[in-house]
Amino acid sequence: MKNALVIAAREFEEKRFVAYAAVAFAILPFIIGILPGINNRSPREVIAIAAVVLGTGFTLGLAVITGASFIGRDLSDGRMSFYFSRPAGSFSIWFGKLTAGILMIVGCFGFIVVPARLAAGDHWKKLFSTTLTWWTAYILAIAVGLFLIAHVIGTFARSRSPLIALDFIAAVICGVSVRYLLVPLMAGEAFVIIDWLSSALAISAALAVICGGAWQLERGRTDRRRSHLALSQFLWGAMAVVLLIAAAYVAWVVSEKPGDLTANVQATRSTSGPFAVLTGMSKGRADYRAAFLINADDGSVTRIDSWAAWTTRYTRDGRSAVVLRRADNVANIMIYTQGKTEPIDTGLTMTAGDYVLSDDATRIATISRPMTLSIYDVAQKRSLASARLPDATFVQTFFVTNDIVRAYLNVPNGMKIMELDARTRGLRETGFVPSGNAIFIYPDSSSMHMLMKTGPGGLTLNDARTGTPLRTLATGTQLKTARYLRDGRIAFVDGPNSATVLHILATDGTPQRDIPLGGKTWITIVGDDGTRIVLNDVDAPLGKRMLEAVNIDHGIIERREPIVDWVPSGAMDTRPAIQPLREVFYVGANGHMTTWNPATGAKRAIT
Amino acid sequence: MSDTAIRISNLHVRYGRMVAVEDAALNVSRGAVYALVGRNGAGKSSLVRCLLGQQKPQRGDVALFGEDAWSRRKSLMQRIGVVTEDADAPPEMSVGAIARFCSRLYDKWDQDSVEARLRTFGVPLTSRFGSLSKGQKKQVSLAMALAISPELLVLDDPTLGLDVVARKSLFEEVIGDLADRGTTIFITTHDLAGVETFADRVGMMEHGRIVLDEDVDALKSRFRRIRFAAQPVAIDTAVLRPTVMRSWGGGAEAIVSNYDDVSFERMRSTSNIGAAEVEAMSLEEIFIAIAGGKAGGNS
Repeated sequence: MKNALVIAAREFEEKRFVAYAAVAFAILPFIIGILPGINNRSPREVIAIAAVVLGTGFTLGLAVITGASFIGRDLSDGRMSFYFSRPAGSFSIWFGKLTAGILMIVGCFGFIVVPARLAAGDHWKKLFSTTLTWWTAYILAIAVGLFLIAHVIGTFARSRSPLIALDFIAAVICGVSVRYLLVPLMAGEAFVIIDWLSSALAISAALAVICGGAWQLERGRTDRRRSHLALSQFLWGAMAVVLLIAAAYVAWVVSEKPGDLTANVQATRSTSGPFAVLTGMSKGRADYRAAFLINADDGSVTRIDSWAAWTTRYTRDGRSAVVLRRADNVANIMIYTQGKTEPIDTGLTMTAGDYVLSDDATRIATISRPMTLSIYDVAQKRSLASARLPDATFVQTFFVTNDIVRAYLNVPNGMKIMELDARTRGLRETGFVPSGNAIFIYPDSSSMHMLMKTGPGGLTLNDARTGTPLRTLATGTQLKTARYLRDGRIAFVDGPNSATVLHILATDGTPQRDIPLGGKTWITIVGDDGTRIVLNDVDAPLGKRMLEAVNIDHGIIERREPIVDWVPSGAMDTRPAIQPLREVFYVGANGHMTTWNPATGAKRAIT
Repeated sequence: MSDTAIRISNLHVRYGRMVAVEDAALNVSRGAVYALVGRNGAGKSSLVRCLLGQQKPQRGDVALFGEDAWSRRKSLMQRIGVVTEDADAPPEMSVGAIARFCSRLYDKWDQDSVEARLRTFGVPLTSRFGSLSKGQKKQVSLAMALAISPELLVLDDPTLGLDVVARKSLFEEVIGDLADRGTTIFITTHDLAGVETFADRVGMMEHGRIVLDEDVDALKSRFRRIRFAAQPVAIDTAVLRPTVMRSWGGGAEAIVSNYDDVSFERMRSTSNIGAAEVEAMSLEEIFIAIAGGKAGGNS
């Protein structure tokens, strides 16, 4: 300890010119502050800004220069024997020099910034507020990091050993390993873990360099090549151990199964068919969010990126789920099809925007910024048509046929209806609905007619292509939800929260049956199997979320199932499903996904 | 307490594929003056670095006062004064600052002796080390090395850069004085004339090997230059072994490495060698004979 201090003192003495330079840099902001021409700010603010800029630059520059020379230069100049021919231990030499180097960096920063801080008074707080403490900590941490990195590079480069090629390879391996450690965590949106792991790796690397430096001098002493070898062995050995531990941790984090999800569990499902996406967090894994594509029929589970959970789309025939997979800065579009173990890589990529599928997933339409609608053929992996859409606040898009994509665009004074035809490659406006309110539409299976929800409680039947109004179905009735049924009939729910009513209408809008549902604070239609409609609601008297099967033939609520959370359809496609509803997904106790058969009431645990 | 100050056995030092020291072994008794000589690149400096615990050999042992030089370097350095081949103090430091720095590391330190020696050498305490001549740097290093009254003084080519007067002063006044006081001295040098008067034992390195390790007196007693008036001369090599044989004037000159008077007289009586003159040789002449003989062979 005593020898380390003696050596540190000697280092300070040797590098006292650095302190002189720091003093000069500390004076410089005051000179800048009184220079004419810099008068759009007060001199005190100029002093503060100049001190921060100069202090940062000086500190970082000093860190690199000092780090590269404090051991490496003594070794390459053959001056290390000055220390080793004295009764000073290797550790004393290393820690003495290291301490002096770091204190010099911190001290010089203080030298430059503190006088300006005192002179700036209240202006300082106005300019930098409370972030300055963190900023100072970051700058000094970066400076120490640069100091250590420069030491390593300085030692390696000055040894003139061919070993440097292996160091380069080891550094690349470390970099690639870190990337591979972070990629699955980024896919799981585990930013807390990434933050924590990055800090742990940075601290470990710093400790590896610090301990490696001591080892370097103990094993290499005055020999620059052996010194290099010792540092390399320690540094890369330590990093290998650290990365292995980190890899084991990451492997554990990402190894969670659907059944492990217990917190913030959410899901989407296909309107018909077995696919669903489950996402959520589990105990002990911080903010890591896992996501799985689940096939409820065969029980298969595929891990997907958590962000992709919200962009997964399902075809109306229920046979396919389309998942985005991140590849660098783009997302590949992958199609998972029932009965096939491997997904189809469409070869199509997306950067930002949304996409819709044809009913059989042979065509994909993307809406990318800036509002460009494109139709792609999956099998041919090529664009069939592309056109720029008018700017809109909200767009609903559907494949009318495999060749035609229809877009409903909410514009300031109403809704434009446009069609892009892959055969003619033409875009044309087919209709316009004037409205002062946002419009939400529910087309029928054939996309010939649509229900239009406008304003407060208004529901009309319109031509789906032109928007021409055909019939007003409800107005001012506290409309809650509406939907076409698979057979073409219309269902909607309205009424006050204390007494909601399910209305069944014929295809042309003629009322057929009203079914009182009781008090519901929130309600939506999940789908139907021809006999019964499944509703998802919050029961007002119980205050609980429920699934309810309403027999529309008998006009009664057949079954009720309390749930923790509902599983919405994973698409903006509001058309009725092609297949009848067999089972309904919901999130049950402890985040477990369950299916419920509305016809029998049978439940099946999926996770 | 070990009577051996330095014990080196089976020492191997390698730099990549290049062998610097190979199977070196030597012993230096306490109080002895050992001179290690050899041409440039012979491996002397590598051996000294191992001796000072600054370099770990690939194989072999180096012990100072019975303790391992590598693992016990720090404590051993309290007892050892070192003057390295290249003066290695930071150039920005003043001589006084070097002395202050060193004084804090050693348990015992005689600042007065440092100042006195530097005065003798004519080196001011305020001088920057980097501004000194090569010889002055060596003198500063020597002053520091002697400030701890070392039990062992290791001098790696201490006369390099010294002028004739300083060299003579170093050998006669400093090293001679220390030798008289019983300090063990290990010196590597090219200046054989300088060490001849006080070296007890001499070693010679060639291509990393110690090819000679012998008491100076014994070495000098067995090497002789014999000049024959006539030639050719047929020497009975069973009696006297010539290291070098060459023409000299009208006759021949032989350097023999196993001379003794009895053998010489016997050879003289049995061989027809005519008039012959025997001369003693200096260490330097012996070194040249050995090194030249190895390098160029007999001529």
